[in-house]
Amino acid sequence: MTTVVRIDPTLCRGHAICALYLLEGVEIDRWGFGRVVQPTAVSRRAVRRALRAAAACPNGAVVIEDAEGPAAPGVRPERPTVGTLEGTAPMPAGLDGLG
Amino acid sequence: MIVSPGLLAPFHRPPGSGPLPGGTVGTVSVGGLGDPGTVLLSGPRRDGGRETLAGHVGRWGTLPELDGGQVLALLRSSGLDGRGGGGFPLARKVATALAGGGRPVLVVNASESEPASGKDRLLCARRPHLVLDGAALVATALGVSSVTVHLHRGADGPVEGVTRAVAERRSCRLDGVEWRVSRGPDRYVSGEASAVAGFLHDGDARPRFAVTPLAVTGPSGRPTVVVNAETVAHLAVVARIGAGGWASLGPPSFPGSRLVTHVGAVDHPGRVLEVVGAATVGELLAPGGVTGPPAAVLVGGFAGTWLEGRDAWSTPFDRTALVCLGASPGCGLLGVLPHGACGLVEAARIVRYLAGESAGQCGTCVAGLPRLAAGLSALAQGTFRRRGLARLAALGDELLGSGACGHPDGVVRLVRSTLEVFADDVVRHLAGAPCRGADHPAVLGVPDPYPTDGGPRSEEDFA
Repeated sequence: MTTVVRIDPTLCRGHAICALYLLEGVEIDRWGFGRVVQPTAVSRRAVRRALRAAAACPNGAVVIEDAEGPAAPGVRPERPTVGTLEGTAPMPAGLDGLG
Repeated sequence: MIVSPGLLAPFHRPPGSGPLPGGTVGTVSVGGLGDPGTVLLSGPRRDGGRETLAGHVGRWGTLPELDGGQVLALLRSSGLDGRGGGGFPLARKVATALAGGGRPVLVVNASESEPASGKDRLLCARRPHLVLDGAALVATALGVSSVTVHLHRGADGPVEGVTRAVAERRSCRLDGVEWRVSRGPDRYVSGEASAVAGFLHDGDARPRFAVTPLAVTGPSGRPTVVVNAETVAHLAVVARIGAGGWASLGPPSFPGSRLVTHVGAVDHPGRVLEVVGAATVGELLAPGGVTGPPAAVLVGGFAGTWLEGRDAWSTPFDRTALVCLGASPGCGLLGVLPHGACGLVEAARIVRYLAGESAGQCGTCVAGLPRLAAGLSALAQGTFRRRGLARLAALGDELLGSGACGHPDGVVRLVRSTLEVFADDVVRHLAGAPCRGADHPAVLGVPDPYPTDGGPRSEEDFA
């Protein structure tokens, strides 16, 4: 299953923490705002990194969904929607939002 | 060919008198409200006020009874494209919404946030029953029982036109749908489709970030079709004269008639005209008293594209032809920059306005647009240094595609075409030579920029 990673620009506040995890998939602009340049994460490793980035973002701006579409479409997530990733890598234990 | 309204009237025919002649490409007619040769704008003239239901039915006849499949077939075979700016085929929007799960939501977007454009406002104020006829047809295609017509609060004439037209239709139980008239904030981005859909859902008229198109899932979770007022008005005509007859009102690549708005150095800035046939930009400007190529033409809206006057003059007003020049018909705005005015000064004014109209949600818009505006203003005022030009271009590249909506992209597009079309002026301004349009009065009628001193706009502005 392919996982799609996006950054909601209306939630991103430029902390740039996602760049620590989504190394090759995210571009950070001069103000720290992130933009996903490679939205599909195929490998388990890439999915794991995306999950960490989503958990670490203080604004919940990293949106993760299955390629078929988001689980709760059109709803702006309060927290990252990591729950939609059924059947992919489980959330690493002890992840408290800072990796 | 120079065309003025009334001179050529190949399409002047009492409506309802049978299908229009086919194979009309090559004949052009451009006219305003009530002028001969017009289709959407036919009927009472400028001083005639709003067309009543009786007048409308008298001219067009009652709406043919069609089922959903027939309406969808009409949409498909006519090739009716969205007239709000995007040009997306309405048939595909409707089909997408039907394929999705859940009861669709239908919204007619008559907010026309583009301050210089006047076509949707004119239709709502003067020909509201065409808009409502078309909306009722789309409702049939979608199988929905209620339709919302969304307008800006400040648009008194259009709001009154639609409200009274709805009352007329209710009193004679004309439609099987329930009409709602919604009024939203008078802000530029509040007319964006996701902002309109969002406003109707939760009262927040700011564009939304969404990973799926509105027609798949809107803010309410239901498929949401947001369709421009002019688009549905055309559908009312399609239903009467047939898809083929309607399509032949335009060139094969650009079916149907269309509305354009003149602004800038024309006889009547803000005047809305309807073009029937394959016209060049020059032919569209001629009825506005523009007798030869101006210095430049702003095509498609404030967040549109400048075309050099001579290039524009002979270019067909056609999606394909305009795309080849990096432009798009957009909402049909044609802004004329006369010789002697400075395009940099005008563009700087527009970019300042657009920067102030950001909803203040996305970082790149908040951080980027004011810098873009400041850069272009400095260039216009001649206080810009040479190496700043590369920075300005790089900033534009960085902003492109970074927002939740197309607002930053539109501004970047305008800045790019400004630097390209007015390259001579850029050189003069960088060299410290006096601006060619130093004493020229403002041309394009750009509204005052929204005060941007307090950082991002407050949520109340968009509610």
